[in-house]
Formats: sequence, structure tokens, C-alpha cells
Amino acid sequence: MKAAKLDSGQLAYQMVTHKIRDASGQTEDITHQYSTEPTIPGPAIMMTEGDKAEVTLEQDIKGSNEPVSIHVHGVHYKMDSDGTMKVFNHTADQAAFPGKPYTYKWTAAPGTAGTWPYHDHAFGNPMLGAEDKGLYGTLIINPKGGKVSAMIDGQIKQVDLKDIKREFILWMHETTFWGMELNHLANRQVPLWTNPTIGAREDELVRFHVIGIGTAFHTFHLHGHRWIQPGTSHLVDTVNIGPIVREAFVIKAGEGVGPGNWHYHCHVLQHMQSGMMGGFRVIEN
Amino acid sequence: MTKISKLTAAILMAGFSGSSWAAQSGVDDLILSVPGLMPSAVLEMSDEPGLWFKDPVDGDALVVLKPKQAAMIKMTDTNTEHTITSLLWPAGAENFPVDQEKPSSASVTQAFDKPGLYVFTCKVHPYMFGAVVVDDPDTKGLDIGKELQLVTGAKVPASSDIAKRLLRTFFVATTPSLWRDYSKPEWDVSLPDIPLNIEGNTISLSALSMTMPNELKKPATPGVGEVWVNTQFEMIEGKKKAGTATRINTGDWNVVSKFKGVKEDMNNPHNMWTDKRYQNIYQTAWFDKKLLTFDRVSGQTYSEVVVGESPSHVISRPSDDMLYVAINAGEQVVKMTGGKNPSAQKSINTGPHTSPHGHYITEDSKYMVTPNALAGSVSVVDLNTDTNTEIPTGGVIPIAVWGTPNGSTAYAANLLGTPPLLSSLTVIDIPGKKKLKDINLAADYDPVTGKISGEAYGLLPIQTPVSPDGKYVVTANTLSATVTIVDTATNKVVKSLPCEPGCHGAHFGMKKGGGYYAYVASKFANDLIVIDMDKLEVAGRVLLSDLKDGSITAHNGMGGQGILPLPIVEHGYLKETLKLSGKGELSPEVEGWLNALTPEQKGI
Ligand SMILES: [Cu+2]
Repeated sequence: MKAAKLDSGQLAYQMVTHKIRDASGQTEDITHQYSTEPTIPGPAIMMTEGDKAEVTLEQDIKGSNEPVSIHVHGVHYKMDSDGTMKVFNHTADQAAFPGKPYTYKWTAAPGTAGTWPYHDHAFGNPMLGAEDKGLYGTLIINPKGGKVSAMIDGQIKQVDLKDIKREFILWMHETTFWGMELNHLANRQVPLWTNPTIGAREDELVRFHVIGIGTAFHTFHLHGHRWIQPGTSHLVDTVNIGPIVREAFVIKAGEGVGPGNWHYHCHVLQHMQSGMMGGFRVIEN
Repeated sequence: MTKISKLTAAILMAGFSGSSWAAQSGVDDLILSVPGLMPSAVLEMSDEPGLWFKDPVDGDALVVLKPKQAAMIKMTDTNTEHTITSLLWPAGAENFPVDQEKPSSASVTQAFDKPGLYVFTCKVHPYMFGAVVVDDPDTKGLDIGKELQLVTGAKVPASSDIAKRLLRTFFVATTPSLWRDYSKPEWDVSLPDIPLNIEGNTISLSALSMTMPNELKKPATPGVGEVWVNTQFEMIEGKKKAGTATRINTGDWNVVSKFKGVKEDMNNPHNMWTDKRYQNIYQTAWFDKKLLTFDRVSGQTYSEVVVGESPSHVISRPSDDMLYVAINAGEQVVKMTGGKNPSAQKSINTGPHTSPHGHYITEDSKYMVTPNALAGSVSVVDLNTDTNTEIPTGGVIPIAVWGTPNGSTAYAANLLGTPPLLSSLTVIDIPGKKKLKDINLAADYDPVTGKISGEAYGLLPIQTPVSPDGKYVVTANTLSATVTIVDTATNKVVKSLPCEPGCHGAHFGMKKGGGYYAYVASKFANDLIVIDMDKLEVAGRVLLSDLKDGSITAHNGMGGQGILPLPIVEHGYLKETLKLSGKGELSPEVEGWLNALTPEQKGI
């Protein structure tokens, strides 16, 4: 991956190459699934419990010699993959400098399944990271069994991940949603930028990943749909999303309510008034 | 001036850059999502003088886009809340204006369809400027537009005098190197030869350039006492946020000292007041939440109290010396005990979305009048019961108010006029709690041709004190760089005097031997103008910068806003101080000032 500067002056991560090797040693290049430009949020990296990853980061930020890093949540890693600077870890700078990439090693250990954020923890003074400028992205760890629980047709079921065709990633930052779609039909990641309209066909199983970043507290609300909070049987249509808090859930598009342009928004009134909203367009089958 | 090189680059690069992401989703029918706007530029709102809307790419307050591109405006490096509001935009632009009703920390992502100039401001701090120029690469020169719409509803041709004035003001306000520095022999606003497309004609930006000599002059007659001026943009070594208070001795017109906040960042100190002993100076931090209290003589800080978002002005009630602090990004005035460590007693609500700014208390202590910047109204609060009467005035951003000594009448300056008047003072009957009329401050100005045919020439009025004898209203007009003087007997402008770019703060002080001076400070210049109220003429210009002070790292003497001359001239206030005279309660210095006053100045 690399960290780069957008024309707007914001910073963003971009996938340069991504290769996967299976148990038999066979490798596959999946780089084509990613956007060919830096995006906010950054590339979504998908792993399965038991997988290991090596992530090499390049500092490609025009006009800057500052270090940039990846600090990841959820997965296991050794001290040298923490993505922090010596001032915090008292050992060494775990960051990429211009011309000096840095490699992180992650293990998606059993029990780490879920949606996790990764973000910069080094850029700028005092090396707290430039996540506010756009250096953040999503790590999705799928459970080994390939199934997640969800409320479908009024019942809590184990949903096969292979049946999920679209995943919507919505980052809540300041008063804006920054979106990304993982479209498994087209097999690619689609940047959706700010407050997008997300779309699915009626009765399709879709997965949402909602994550907060920055300093504000948000309330994510999706109209017409409800879901169970992971690990519980609580049915909700609204969740509180604080900084680095995340919620992932599967729903059946339009279940019980049918097609339509279903609104999603932050329920903090002031954020909503500032346009922190979008549509969930469910198209008739 | 990287801003200028960027303008040039934008013209050269037109048609080369840009991204096609927004169009991508449509190419594949498996993807049903529709991407939202992708910002091609960002303006980050900050507390930094001049760079209140800062492009992270080159640190300027201006970005150039192509039609259909979007910009994100967000509040990043600021300690208070703001609004993101269109000040002007090309008439007919889609989805315009942008206008956040209430101060907050919310961001905006906006697409721009129509080529031309879009200027943004904050309604709470209305000199915070940022601009987007949408340039059609197929036309010659950088597009400014044909007809510009102002937030007041007025539409003006882009070639009009007022549009050019706003354009030049934007460049001066957002470029500290163009501020008027009186320590140099001349003021040189030289803008480069960039072609601008105004109403289809190509005009060079350098046509807005100008040069003027900088002449300082100490008034021949000294004043009595001292004058404190908020040099709000001055940068001090070791401090992250801007602002100092400069103390001038009116005996010799020299800078005595600067209060720098000791260890605190003052963060845009905007306005001051004092207690009846002239011991404490109360200081608001406009881009913060604090009221600072410091010793007038030693500069020692006594306390720092959080009072609310963007406290703008502080004034006392003469009868009990209680303090009233206007919470500019809120809807209340906080009533506080005075002394070294003020503490809040009560919050007086001025009404929904009011944002009171430069308020006033009548000398008989009966009423407080607040100009409600965001509500287009003026509130009269009965201070015995703290009951509020909100009077809608139709004024756009009423920003400051002052009253006559007898407490009958108040004058509220409407920063953006009372439509259809471009520039106005609203006259309020205080005890009657009603609007009497509007005074047109720009009656003698033609906004299209720029022709000035008389004295009434004041654009974007700010502070507007009434003279202690009740005869005149002196108004600092920030856009026209003039001081207008209204005769209260006729409510007509009788005099217009030259001021500086960003003319802002005004108040009265004592002239030695009798009579009054008006003191006027300007944001984008480092002098204090002294006006002789007997002659209605400029008596002098005094430097606010201290060239010997090495701890001033930038904007020396700049950012002139609140003015506090001591002794306080208003007789209702002064009499409370005079009561303490000869009782050992006042410092020998203050006793000396009081002894120098004539009976008329004392109000006897
Ligand atoms: Cu503001």
C-alpha cells in the first residue's frame, strides 16, 4: 500500500499490489479489485480467521518528508508492527519514510473476526497520525466457519458469507459519511466518497460496516431496516458510533418493507442538518 | 503570495487535471450505488489571522475549481464554533447560497456549477473569508462572473465598484503581506497581472493595485489617561493563537506595554472592559470560550474563566459593577460578578439563534441592548427583571450597538445593511422597545459606478459608539474604510473621514483641557486613528506596533478591534469612579487622570 496526497490536499491510502497465497502455495493477484487511485476511506482489506498478512507501506506524500504508518485494530501483531513512533513505543519508528517502506505483519487469530479500522499513527506533529486528513481504512476479518448471524425473515439465522453480494462501508467523520462498496458481483471495490446513495436489489443479502473516526459522536440510523447487534439478540435500527467504534450487520434489502429510497443518516440533529445523510436505494426485483 | 501563482497555474493547467471517479459507478450495471461528491479541494477553517479558510495544499484562503467540481469546507484548527455562509456567489448558481443557520463545527461539501467567484464567511466572525473561483477552462481569463449575488439579496454586476471593492478586500484580508504596515513609508497593494474574466471582458487583477503613503502623526493636544486596543492578530513567540492588548499612553501617544496573556493563549482577544476602580481589565477571547481578567498596570493574569462559545464583548452595569458577557456563538449574555475572579451568576437568554455580539448597557443601569447578529433583531433586556424583548429590525448581521447618555435611544450597526439599504444604522427607542428608523450610511455612494456625491459613504459598519455628550454617532465602516459621523439631532451623516482597511473598533476618550477624541482601530492596519470631536477632523495617527519587542513574531500591531479608553467617558459610568475619588480607593495614577478632567468631562 502507499499513502499519497489527493489534489484536494487530503491524504489517502492506496493499494499498489495485493497477492494472496493459499495453503497449497498457489498465489493469486487481486490488485485489480482495488481502485487505481488513493481513496477515502482507504482500501478495504479482507482476511479470514487464521490468515496472516504482510503489509508494506510506502510514503508517497508529495511535498512531505514526514513518516506515515498503519496502526491496525483487531488482529494480532508483534511490537514492531504497532505503527507508532519511538516517542510512544520506546523502541523504534514503525513508519514509512520517503524511499523507505515499512512492513507490518498481522495475524487474524481465531476470535478476531469482525470489522476493524486501520489508520495512520505517525504523520504530523506530535506523531498522533493524520487520520483526520483521510488516512484511514477498513480491515474485515471473516470468521473461519464462513457464516455470520443475522436476523433474516424475522429469524436469527447463520448467513453464509458467500451469499452476500454487496458490502457497504460507511465511515462517519465530522459531519460526513465517507463510503466504499465491496461489490462481489463485479469483484471490485468502488469508492463512494461523501454521503453516497448505496444501492441493492430487493431481497439481496447485504452487509453494512459503519465506523466512526475523528472526535465526534454519531448515531447511525437506517430507515425501514433493523438488525441484531452482533453477539446479542437485540433488534435495533440505530447505533451509537463514537471514535473508532464500529458496527457490522447483515440485512435483507427491503425485507418486510419493499423497494424504495430508504434514508440513512446520523441522528445527531446538527450533523444531519449539515448533510450527514444518504440513501439506501432498494431496487425492485 | 502563493495565491497568485496558483491563479496563474490554474489558468495554465486548466483542462489537464481532475478525476473521473464520480462517473465510475455508472459503467457497470452490477453496481447500483451512486457515489456522492468527491471534494477536489478543501478549505480548513482555522484561528490563524488571514487564513481563516485555509487550503491545505498551499496554505492560501482561495481555491480554483472547474465547473461541476466540489470543495469541502471544514472546521479544523479552531477552538470555537462558526457558520459556513456564502457572502457572495454568481447569481443563479445551483444549490446556493450555503448558509449554516447556527454556529457549530459542521463541515460542508458543495459542488459548484456556475463559473465565477464564490466568497464564504462566518456570520459570527464576519471577516473570516475564504473563496472558491470556478473557472471555465474554455473562457479567457479567470472567471469572476457576470452578476454577483450578495447574501443580503442584492445583485450587482461583477464589474461594479462594490464587487471590485469586495474582491480587493478579499485579497487584502487574506494576505497578511498586503496589510497596511505604518512602520513602512508606504502601503503597497501590488497585485500581479492575472487576467480576470469579468462580465466577458478580460481585466487584469493588477488593476486593483494601489499605493498610498503611510504618514503617522501624533495629535497636538494630548489625551487624558490611556487607551487599550485589541491588537487581535499579533503573534507572540511561544503562543499558538494570536492576539494581544496594546496599551497607549495618551500623554505622549506611545505604546506603554502589551498584554500577551502570560502563559495563556488569548486566541483573538476581541473586546475589553474594566471595573470602576480601573484595576482589572476583562478580556474576551473571541475564537475561544474564555474571559480573561488581568491587572491593568502589572499585566498579571488573575483568572481565566470559560463562559461560552465565542464571547465577543464584555461590559459592566454601572450601578453594581456586575459584568455582562455576550456569547456570540450562543443565544445568551452571561451575567457575572466582577473582580479578579469573575463567576457566572445567570444566563440571560436573548432568543433563539440570536448570537448577540457588541452589546450596550444604559448609563442609568436599567437596560441592556444586544444586537443579535444571526436573528436580524435587537434585544432590549430590562436588567431589574432580566426580561428580554426581541425587536425584529430587518437588519442583516446587526453587530454592535451603543446608546445616548440619557438612555432613550440606541444605534445598531447592521454589518450587511437593512435590505434594500446596503449599509445602515437602525435607531431603537430603548424604553419604548421599538424600532424608529434606519439611517442610510451609504446614501451618497453609487455601488455600480463608485461615485461618491456627499458625506454619507460608509460600507459594512461595525462599532458605533455615541459621543458622551450625545451629539454624534461615530461608526467604523470596514469595507469603505471610512468613519461616518451621524448627527443625532437629524440622524443624518454629517461627515465621512478616511479610515484603514478593515476599519473596525471605535470609542471615545478624554481630550486634555476639555472635549473628546474618538479612537478608531482597523484589523488590517497597525495604526490608531484619533479624531477630534470638536472639529470632526482626524487629529492624528498613532502606531500600535512595538518595533523594539522581539517576542512579536508576526503582524506587529495588527488586528485592531476592541478599544477601551480610560477614564471611561460615559458619565453614568464615570460618576461611579468619581465617587471613589479621594477615599484612597483609587491608584494615584487614576486620581491624576480624574483631576485632569474638566467639569463638563466629569458630567457636572
Ligand atoms: Cu466564526
